Amino acid sequence: MDERSSRRQFIDRASRVLGFVTIGGAAGVLAKRASANSVYQVDPLRCTSCDLCRTSCVLSLSAVKAVNDFARCGYCQLCPAYMDVTSQPDATGIPTGRVCPQDALKRRVVGTVDKDDPNNNYYEYTVDETRCDGCGKCVKACLPPAGNGSLRLEIRYDRCVECNECAIQLACPDRAILRVEVPGLPPRSAGQAHE
Amino acid sequence: MDPNSSEKPPLSLRERLFKTWFPPAAAIGGMAMLVAAVFRQRPAARTVVAPPGGPAPAVPAPGAQAATAPAMASPLLQVARASSARPTAGPLARQYRLERVFGEAASAAAFHLSLNGVALDSSDRLHTLGDGEIRVFAPDGSVARRWKVAETAESLAVGPDGRVYVGGSGRVDVYSPRGDRIGGFAFGDKASPAAVSAVKIYRDEILVADASARIIRRFDAAGRQLGVIGDRGATKTFMLPNGKLDLDVDAAGVVRATDTGRHQVTAWQIDGTPVGRFGKFGMSDPADFVGCCNPVNLASTRDGMVVTGEKMVARVKVFTAAGVLMAVIGPEHFDPMCTQIHLAADAKGRVYAADPVRRRIQVFAPEAGGAR
Repeated sequence: MDERSSRRQFIDRASRVLGFVTIGGAAGVLAKRASANSVYQVDPLRCTSCDLCRTSCVLSLSAVKAVNDFARCGYCQLCPAYMDVTSQPDATGIPTGRVCPQDALKRRVVGTVDKDDPNNNYYEYTVDETRCDGCGKCVKACLPPAGNGSLRLEIRYDRCVECNECAIQLACPDRAILRVEVPGLPPRSAGQAHE
Repeated sequence: MDPNSSEKPPLSLRERLFKTWFPPAAAIGGMAMLVAAVFRQRPAARTVVAPPGGPAPAVPAPGAQAATAPAMASPLLQVARASSARPTAGPLARQYRLERVFGEAASAAAFHLSLNGVALDSSDRLHTLGDGEIRVFAPDGSVARRWKVAETAESLAVGPDGRVYVGGSGRVDVYSPRGDRIGGFAFGDKASPAAVSAVKIYRDEILVADASARIIRRFDAAGRQLGVIGDRGATKTFMLPNGKLDLDVDAAGVVRATDTGRHQVTAWQIDGTPVGRFGKFGMSDPADFVGCCNPVNLASTRDGMVVTGEKMVARVKVFTAAGVLMAVIGPEHFDPMCTQIHLAADAKGRVYAADPVRRRIQVFAPEAGGAR
């Protein structure tokens, strides 16, 4: 009887210890995750601009925005991400349609401006983030070989509310949403965007 | 119950539940939570660290995005491809057929990493720049000679005396026909070396396409700059959104160069005087140039034709010097992800077109009979 009792006691104590360690470990992992300096970000090599960033984000206007890498941009006059090159051309042969349904891609002439011949001008393209809904149409149109591939989608941290489970990550068929470590980024709670 | 009895009283159901079953159940549940918490952080293998205090981090995109993103094909490709198949106003005057292929993947002369240029010598022997070396092909398709060049080499030319000129980052190196380095010169700013996207030889001059400065530089054999081409008239230097400038010189000494942002082929005298241009943007007429920046490549034939290579719709077209479209070598011959097609033309009018994605050189011969 004593022997049986001590075995039972041993199992009982061992189970308790194991239970406490496991629960403590799980709590530690979750606490570390919550306080980690990491954020969600889009991997441009996996992203296929499938439009789910626009429709899946919990925000009414997605936290995913198109951004232009100026170092790669060609500053084209006939930018395939800005102009719908298949649309009806105007009298000067320039397509009249626009790729962005939100008119969020803006351009301005940079450098020396030739008013007489637009062919002599370079154009800088920027994204109006108050309009961009992250649909990725411009990103697709800028892809090589048509463009230089300077446009890509990014999660903007001043808009992302850092859900415990990113809805876009769950929806993304290409597993293009990653956790990215950002040293120096202050920790925050879910539902709060970075300042 | 006897208080002096050493036997423990039997556990109630509640005690049995909390004392006996709760700890293992909590342990199993906790372990499940731990496993779930760890595995939900997908994908664990790829985490990018941004510099402290820097801008919002993005997952870095290496330069090879074009080659690694085939799943996201541009929606413009199909539309643009259709323009090759669209009929012209009249029948095209020339037809070309695929005659042979150099550097096939299965052959001993296969290019494994890169194919950056093609050139023909005065005997129409094929020279190629690829895999960090120059290869001279024998007529049977085997490699007769090969030698290593700088890894940064981007362009290739062969002079009438058989010397081989290799353009790279801010410099041109000269090799004997046997592959011995016999000279070379550097130019421009060492801190930001010029992108030499093409080299051609005209008499005793070396013409260098400087895509960084968006002009063509003329050098003598010693590397002294004699002048520039491309900064006069309405051009105000070439517009190169894609960073490529190609040129060729015909037998009459007319220098032709691509002006990709303007969708034109430009013609110049050797002293830099503009003598003409043709081409315009268009997505439907095969004679037009599609996309943001075309034509990317160019070659002159010995009968005065101009051969152009395009991206987006990877195709080759043959024009008269005045810009009349004579032939289209369609996109079915090239990889759709080509951002350029290196070109050369031999004495018989054959067009050598190097596809840098499939890494092979296709030779297209004009069909006998001409007009169809």
